[in-house]
Amino acid sequence: MNSQLNSSLVCLQVFGHHYRRAPLQAGAILIGIILAITLLIGVRATNESAIASYQNATELLSQRADVRLNPPDSQRYFNQDYYFALRHAGYSNLLPVIRGKVYDNNNQSYPLYGSDIIAALSLNSGQDNFQGQQTISNQTLPMARLLMAEPLLVTSQSFADQLGLQDNITLNGQTIELMVLDDRYGLGNTLLADISFAQQLLDAPKQLSYIAMFYPEQGLKQALLAADLLPADLVFSVQDQGQSLMALTNSFHLNLNAMSMLAFIVGLFIAYNGVRYSLMKRQKLLVQLLQSGISRRHLMLALFSELTVMVIIGAVIGFVLGLQLSQWLQPMIAVTIESLYNARLLPGIWHWSWLLQAIILTLLAAVLASIPLYLNLSRQPLAQGASQHNQYHTGYRSAKYQAMAAVALLFVSGLLLPFSQQFQFSLILMALVTLAIPLLLPWSLQRMSQGLTRLKLSGLKGYMLAETKELIAPLSLAMMAILLALCANIAMNTLVGSFDHTLRQWLDIRLHTDVYTNPEPAKIEATETFLKQHPNVTALHYQWFSQDKYQGLPISLVSFDDETLIDTSPLKQHIDNFWPQFLAGSVVMISEPMAIKHNLQPGDQLYLTEHQPETPLTVGAIYYDYGNPKGQIQFNQKAWLALGLHPQPNGIGASYQGDVLELEQQLQQQVGLLPRQMFNQTSVRAKAITIFNRTFSITVALNSLTLIVAAIGLFSACLMLTQARQAPLARLTALGVSKIQLRLMLVVQMLIIVLFTCLIALPMGSLLSYLLINKVTLQAFGWTIPILWDWQAYGQAIVTAVLTSLIAISLPLWWQTRKPTIHSLQQEVL
Amino acid sequence: MKPFVYTGLLITLCACQPAAESESESRSMGNLLGATTAQYAEVLPEKQFSFPADHQAHNDFRQEWWYLTANLIDEQGQPLGLQWTQFRFGLTPNTEELPQDWQASQLYMAHSAITTKEQHWAEEKWSRGIPELAGVSANPFAVFIDNWRWQGSTNNLFPASLSVQEDDFSYQLQLSASAPLQLQGQQGYSVKNAAADVASYYYSQPYIQITGEVTLAGITKKVSGMGWLDREWSSQFLTDSQQGWDWFALRFNNQTTLMLFQLRADEASGQPHFYAGNLMQPDGSNQPLASSDIQMTAQAWQQTSTANYPVSWRLTIPSQQLDITINALNPNANMPLSIPYWEGPIQFSGSHQGDGYMELTGY
Repeated sequence: MNSQLNSSLVCLQVFGHHYRRAPLQAGAILIGIILAITLLIGVRATNESAIASYQNATELLSQRADVRLNPPDSQRYFNQDYYFALRHAGYSNLLPVIRGKVYDNNNQSYPLYGSDIIAALSLNSGQDNFQGQQTISNQTLPMARLLMAEPLLVTSQSFADQLGLQDNITLNGQTIELMVLDDRYGLGNTLLADISFAQQLLDAPKQLSYIAMFYPEQGLKQALLAADLLPADLVFSVQDQGQSLMALTNSFHLNLNAMSMLAFIVGLFIAYNGVRYSLMKRQKLLVQLLQSGISRRHLMLALFSELTVMVIIGAVIGFVLGLQLSQWLQPMIAVTIESLYNARLLPGIWHWSWLLQAIILTLLAAVLASIPLYLNLSRQPLAQGASQHNQYHTGYRSAKYQAMAAVALLFVSGLLLPFSQQFQFSLILMALVTLAIPLLLPWSLQRMSQGLTRLKLSGLKGYMLAETKELIAPLSLAMMAILLALCANIAMNTLVGSFDHTLRQWLDIRLHTDVYTNPEPAKIEATETFLKQHPNVTALHYQWFSQDKYQGLPISLVSFDDETLIDTSPLKQHIDNFWPQFLAGSVVMISEPMAIKHNLQPGDQLYLTEHQPETPLTVGAIYYDYGNPKGQIQFNQKAWLALGLHPQPNGIGASYQGDVLELEQQLQQQVGLLPRQMFNQTSVRAKAITIFNRTFSITVALNSLTLIVAAIGLFSACLMLTQARQAPLARLTALGVSKIQLRLMLVVQMLIIVLFTCLIALPMGSLLSYLLINKVTLQAFGWTIPILWDWQAYGQAIVTAVLTSLIAISLPLWWQTRKPTIHSLQQEVL
Repeated sequence: MKPFVYTGLLITLCACQPAAESESESRSMGNLLGATTAQYAEVLPEKQFSFPADHQAHNDFRQEWWYLTANLIDEQGQPLGLQWTQFRFGLTPNTEELPQDWQASQLYMAHSAITTKEQHWAEEKWSRGIPELAGVSANPFAVFIDNWRWQGSTNNLFPASLSVQEDDFSYQLQLSASAPLQLQGQQGYSVKNAAADVASYYYSQPYIQITGEVTLAGITKKVSGMGWLDREWSSQFLTDSQQGWDWFALRFNNQTTLMLFQLRADEASGQPHFYAGNLMQPDGSNQPLASSDIQMTAQAWQQTSTANYPVSWRLTIPSQQLDITINALNPNANMPLSIPYWEGPIQFSGSHQGDGYMELTGY
């Protein structure tokens, strides 16, 4: 046993010396592993933080509420006396909250959350307190000042940093002291105030936005009704445990995960390439070890130990870098999640177990990938020793098998694709295609370079083309990685470009009113009267909003006047004779995301959860909706009122002839609307485009990272290859080929391979784009997006690939030209 | 008397205020209180108490409480202890009316507990001091937080009703008392250490007749018995070196009552414990006891969910020929609230017999 161990240790020592002489080889393996794990962990930490945030969505500084009492849809606030009545009735575990937006001098808005700090903190006593949880008897807030309604706001460190906020901030014209709390208190991107000051700052005396109730939902509504504590001004709404947010954001996070897996695979390609190269370089050494009496078993053991050590070192470094990466990604994702899904993100989390999982996953992948290499090596007869085996033939054979596998994969996914309805399933099929693309590469490259040799060029040119074919096998892995990254890049760019175009077109249809006003309920009538009397206002448009749930997911209910409904609802599908039935109030229309998420077709019936849950609604049509990943139902006024929804509109829009800014000013002066209660078409459009383009910003960022990873892979592969070719190149120099010719030859060879790869990347990237847009995004977000081919993106991808490879070969070339030819010639002997 | 319930609170509640340099190095409540007492009113000897005005909150002092304990029996003659306390903590020494909604300078906390031989229930409520939620009102007299309420029918403490309603227990009691109020210490100036530089204003009503209903686990019972009210306020309560508090309200069968407390000195301080006591009669007469008169030793300890408490005591007062053993009705009467302590009914025997209440803090 001991001697066995010893011989493996001897091998490891020998390998150690080898890597000391050739650090590049160890570096290539490590870089691959580090990159793979960095991206894997970075995305994972980002995703899990977000999901944990949904699940732990508590009231600020307090607990998660089971129930909320909200104002009815037509009102923003209700009177705080309802809260006092509940407290007098013995419901002490309550939190009165007032929320709103406050504006700084640049009219930049900030979310403000005001609650009774004492009530918030007292709910924490006797709870399972997590780190940073505050109680009344153990807290760091300036209580006395908060309770005395002093102008004081509390915010999280990261939000303050992000906005560059200092000790003071001027909001709604008032200078306010800012107190910054550590991120672990979970304040997210919100300004917190005691209710005494918040009501004053929001100019909403005696008003509440909602009451959070910390009582089990079971029987609570009945008890409140029986005690006459649930008047019409309060809407009883049960809070879920983050499920609906998780369901809503599910596809978003899955997309991120898919991207990180892609990056992981690209990283592994690099590592694998490194392993293969280092084995190739050590072939002689390994045979010598066998010849000196070390058994094959011990040699294998030593090789696997080496791999394990590399994986562990790479994983630890990757883990640290990954957590850092997630620190950068999180603000990006926070903006998306907060603007799209209205969820508050808590500070990042991470677990040691991720490191272990990453090591196991990487080790498994690395071992599986290396087994054929190792087996091949161990089967090698001792006598073959020093002779080079025919790389071209083995390479050609394996390329053929890989291509066959690729065709089989493409065939299977092509066969299954028409049946895929779920985006998860589509994503798996897409993964199959993604796997097939690189497998197809070596064979295609060989066929193409074979085609080139038919040109029958003579002399150095002929030699160059012939040698290019030989280079494909050693470079194929790096090329596979870059091909994958290029395809993903093309697909993502096409998606983003197409989406942007679609969104703009859709907004053109949707935004048909010049000015939108969103007055508080008390000013609705005045606004309407003013607009009606205004000579330049040509038409008024009314909007009604409400919320409900369908099959556990939050949806919004909207209604407009008939003219608006007809003008602004681009229909995807509809029943026969739809419009008359819709205008009569007998059918409703649902948004495309809702139809796809719940697999609803025109003619289907659905039941709401909160408004008349026993009355069926018939789907008359499905309309495109890119403004909302949430489901939406549009009603005609008759159907709206039949559902018992509020008759007074929430917003009024106006078609206006003239300068809309003028109208806004008049509304401000004569009706007393605030600038933030009015929106013109241009500003809404700009805002919508910014917000929704952000949906993809993180995926684009990840994609670019993947491309960088692949570029690093190509770089290291080229570097290794050029080094390996030092001897043949020196031979050419000895035969009288000038250095310039030689360099040109190398560059052209590399360009041939890279351009061929790009050639394959174009159709394959388009195929991925098609799948990403017409399957995954459609099913995940519910957005039909007509594909817009973005040639510029292709050009960009190709330029990146070419530049990378040029840098990758020029560096070793430069090194080589600085060395005497004899030195390079000796490389073969050594 | 509940100094230790609020020691922790005051440290944090006042931590925001600039703490003046203190001669002592230790970061203790004493320093913090000492640093800011200047802004609050001081407790001085020879105060002239004036009732009913002094039943109201004294917002110029830092802390205050209205504190009722009762030894009751139900229809079956089973003993039952009941506690109701409302605390006031000043956040800023403000006596003005505050103009704005929700604006508050006072914080209120209330505790309510019921103890039988087998079980013990305890609840806590917190609120800022605003008229809609919690506070003290004058005419008629009331002390309230949410739906817990001491409601007088005049501007005096008695007669009154006391109601508390929780999911697990509730009670609705009628309180009446005709005996004169007892001023503790020197005419209501109650000294808390040997040096006599820390004190509180303290008066009691140990003779309250109680009838009413108590509902436990859904079963309502009629109860009756005797109650004891303590009123106390101050701006600084303990010295640096004091670490805990054992307080007793003893009711002898012959109507005599004894208020007794021990302020335990920190062992490291090397100082002796401080004792005070007062023997009281229903006619209003009383006999204060000197610290040196009182000897007490813990006899048995009970490990509860929060701490290990001495739930049985031997008490001797040689000058009164008193030598009794005090036992808890239910040794598990700990109060696992914001600041945990032990509080429950007791029975005693030996040279004298009777019942009463005990409070143990700082363990």
